[in-house]
Amino acid sequence: MGRGWTRWIGAALAVAALVTMLAALYAIFFVAPLEMTMGIAQKIFYIHVGSAMNMLLAFGVCALAGATFLAVRAPRARAMADAIGVATAEVGVTLGAIVLVTGPLWARKAWGTWWTWEPRLTLSLMVFLLFLAYLALRAFAGSDRFGRGVAAGLSIMGIPAIYFIHFAVERWGGAHPQVVYKGGLTVPGMKLAFWLSVLAVSLVTAALAYQRAVIETQRQAIDALFLELDRREGLP
Amino acid sequence: MTAGLRQFGAVLAKDARIEFRTRDIVYTMALFSILLVFVFAFAFLSDPSRTRDYGPGIVWVTLLFSATVGQNRLFDRERENGCLWSMLLAPVPAGVVFAAKATGHFLFTVAMAAVTVALIVVFFDLRVLDVGGFVGSLLLGTAGMSLVGTLFSAMLMNARMKEVLLPLVTFPVLVPVVIAGVKVTALSVGAPLQEDAGAWLRFLLGFDMIFGAVTVLLFGRMIRS
Repeated sequence: MGRGWTRWIGAALAVAALVTMLAALYAIFFVAPLEMTMGIAQKIFYIHVGSAMNMLLAFGVCALAGATFLAVRAPRARAMADAIGVATAEVGVTLGAIVLVTGPLWARKAWGTWWTWEPRLTLSLMVFLLFLAYLALRAFAGSDRFGRGVAAGLSIMGIPAIYFIHFAVERWGGAHPQVVYKGGLTVPGMKLAFWLSVLAVSLVTAALAYQRAVIETQRQAIDALFLELDRREGLP
Repeated sequence: MTAGLRQFGAVLAKDARIEFRTRDIVYTMALFSILLVFVFAFAFLSDPSRTRDYGPGIVWVTLLFSATVGQNRLFDRERENGCLWSMLLAPVPAGVVFAAKATGHFLFTVAMAAVTVALIVVFFDLRVLDVGGFVGSLLLGTAGMSLVGTLFSAMLMNARMKEVLLPLVTFPVLVPVVIAGVKVTALSVGAPLQEDAGAWLRFLLGFDMIFGAVTVLLFGRMIRS
């Protein structure tokens, strides 16, 4: 991939994210009607759900990248998988922070409490912590091949861990609203605002993850150059 | 298969022999867990009639923390003189080495837990009504901790700050074990819960089986990466 292309894709994603995010904000505040019982607090939901969906998507991609990193031998494919892994993990953790801040803000109004140990809340928190650990591993266990292998392994563990956490917390019973799947979203204005928000957050996610992956690839290239320099004439 | 079993036995016997002579893993784990029980005794012992509400939690927190202490020590011996690399250079599948190390950790933790849990039962006056469920949950839960912990303690063997990194990595993965373990233990000491102990035990068994497969498969890949 040429350098020009990467820049154009990055810029296009950023512009698309900005435009749809502005449109989504407009739809949220001026098109979607005010919800009757929850009032203005309900509007958090548009961003909250979009972030949660993209968080799980980012972590899923991160786990796939980890699996690729461990399964593939070709150095270039491994480097790319590694870059995608760190990019999606960082963006996913950011989205997780958004989910875990907006959720309680809404819950305080709707449920009268900031936090309950309800299945989906617990699941989100645990997945968030798991990928925080992934980032901590990458930061402290060294960015050498070994540290990256460990982190990749952890991200794969995320999949069965998510499954078991999901199963374990499911049994506690839950009060989480199932708006989208149970067909609660009937007002056209709300529907528009919701899907625009999901699109906007997805594009922001894609733009951030893409840029981060590009930066990581450049960092890898610099590392390789340093190693090459060291090999040839000793570090300056 | 028989070769695999022999190799498994050799690595396990080596660990057991070293442990029997030095006793450093079991001793440090046991001392640490006994001290933890004392700390919990002072932190909670305000209402002796409600021990069955918090007793199971004490059992599992003590077990989790002590198992982590043991895991930090588990690969210290393998680091000296590059023992682990030599073991992996030998024509032994990495999965076998991993299984033997994890089994070793499991046995050491069970030895430690036998003392500690007995202490908790005595100190906090827990009435164990369902001994099978109580012991079963402890064994299955410890197996899960050993599998996950051994994998990451091997990986973090040479890392800086591994003592801190290890729990950071393993605790989120082990949360389901603690959830299920606390439920079964609470039921077996007669806590008034509307839960099915058998289902939670099967859950623990499923956790062990899936993570057993995942960790054995991942170990070779990760250590050679």
